[in-house]
Amino acid sequence: MLQQLRGCAVVAVFALSAVPAWCQASAVVAKAKAESKTWTTPRTPDGHPDLQGTWSNTTLTPLERPADLAGKPYLTEQEAAEYEKRTFANLTGDRRDGGADADVARSYNEFWRDRGTKVIASRRTSLVVDPPDGRVPALTPEAQKRVAEAAAVTRAHATDGPEYQNLWVRCITRGLPMLPGPYNNDFQIVQTPDAVVILHEMIHDARVIPLDGRPHLPPGVRQWMGDGRGHWEGDTLVVDTTNFSEKSNFRGSSANLHLTERFTRTGPDTISYEFTVDDPSTFTMPWKAEVPMARAEGEIFEYACHEGNYALTDILRGARAQEAAQ
Amino acid sequence: MRTKLALAVAGAGLLLAAVPVWGHHAFAAEFDAKKPVKLQGKVTKMEWINPHAWIHLDVKNADGTMTNWMVEGGTPNTLLRRGFTKDSLLPGTEIVVDGYQAKDGSFRANGRDVTFPDGRKLFIGNQSPGEGAPESSK
Repeated sequence: MLQQLRGCAVVAVFALSAVPAWCQASAVVAKAKAESKTWTTPRTPDGHPDLQGTWSNTTLTPLERPADLAGKPYLTEQEAAEYEKRTFANLTGDRRDGGADADVARSYNEFWRDRGTKVIASRRTSLVVDPPDGRVPALTPEAQKRVAEAAAVTRAHATDGPEYQNLWVRCITRGLPMLPGPYNNDFQIVQTPDAVVILHEMIHDARVIPLDGRPHLPPGVRQWMGDGRGHWEGDTLVVDTTNFSEKSNFRGSSANLHLTERFTRTGPDTISYEFTVDDPSTFTMPWKAEVPMARAEGEIFEYACHEGNYALTDILRGARAQEAAQ
Repeated sequence: MRTKLALAVAGAGLLLAAVPVWGHHAFAAEFDAKKPVKLQGKVTKMEWINPHAWIHLDVKNADGTMTNWMVEGGTPNTLLRRGFTKDSLLPGTEIVVDGYQAKDGSFRANGRDVTFPDGRKLFIGNQSPGEGAPESSK
């Protein structure tokens, strides 16, 4: 929470509702820069903006604008305070009103998790900035069919073996783009003149992104986190990622996913992280989100995915035990 | 830091509609809604493993034998930010755990509620943004 409060103090808050959604994220960057008069972008010895450090993107702001806030892209200061209080209370309250099954499913509260206590500093009601309704665009008919078929297979075989569990449970990857989850929303960035490394605490994902202008891998090579290539556009690090595996599956995405990410320092303790998702096989239009990152306190812990988390074995052994009992 | 350690609501409470798809755990597939457990015993150790700390405790069974249970907790980073340290739950501390047993019948449970025998809930710090620890916990 401290890191978020600090982030809020650094990035001032603005009313941007008159600005087209497509421009708002960069307007935030520009305005934040303008308001940090005494601050200048720190640089590495080779002259590029210094993004290094440990950062967190924990926030109560959802990726998509909630239905009850349709048509309301920004909250006022007072509305934001009420939203934070209400959302945090919902996440933390002791609810036993759904019976044992529901209770197991939602048995953990914010003691065990870390969604933060604040909305993003701009008080926008969604991380999605384009389309302007703050919602991820509809899936194409082709993608709807693909997603439905995959879901049917998963439902039919859920506990048959590890391959039907999701990539988190299997400890394969948290995946891209870098969105906040329930906990471990910490990222460490390390730069050299030729590469940027981004370590994500969740699943211990490490991305090594070359900056030397080399071309993407051949189209036949597919990777869980795709193949990222970085370059500088002014003071912004732009990472262009292709070659995803179809199994990477970000909200139903296909192997054609083309992800463009932009990292810009906006203050002593903040980075603006924007990403654009372009996958015509999946989404009816490209879409874009902006996720502020604030400097995190402390170190990233090594992630011992299966050692510290018995979910996969418990799920499969549990299913076998129940079958045997029947 | 220690003064902030005390109660609050442990366990429960997730308004599913407000939260993006929760991917790491399918809790309902891992723990058994038909096997609620209430464990009381002394902590034997606490493992600080990412992504889940594990609290081990010895629980006396009805026949007098002892079973060592493991109770799942939060991530080290989250716990540290809440003010939880390695001294917060020392071996020998008596606790009560309300949770659900793993479906495979092993002596593992989720830590839905972790309380001290006098009813104080084991939880730390800030319940509401900016308000600090609840008054009764100080």
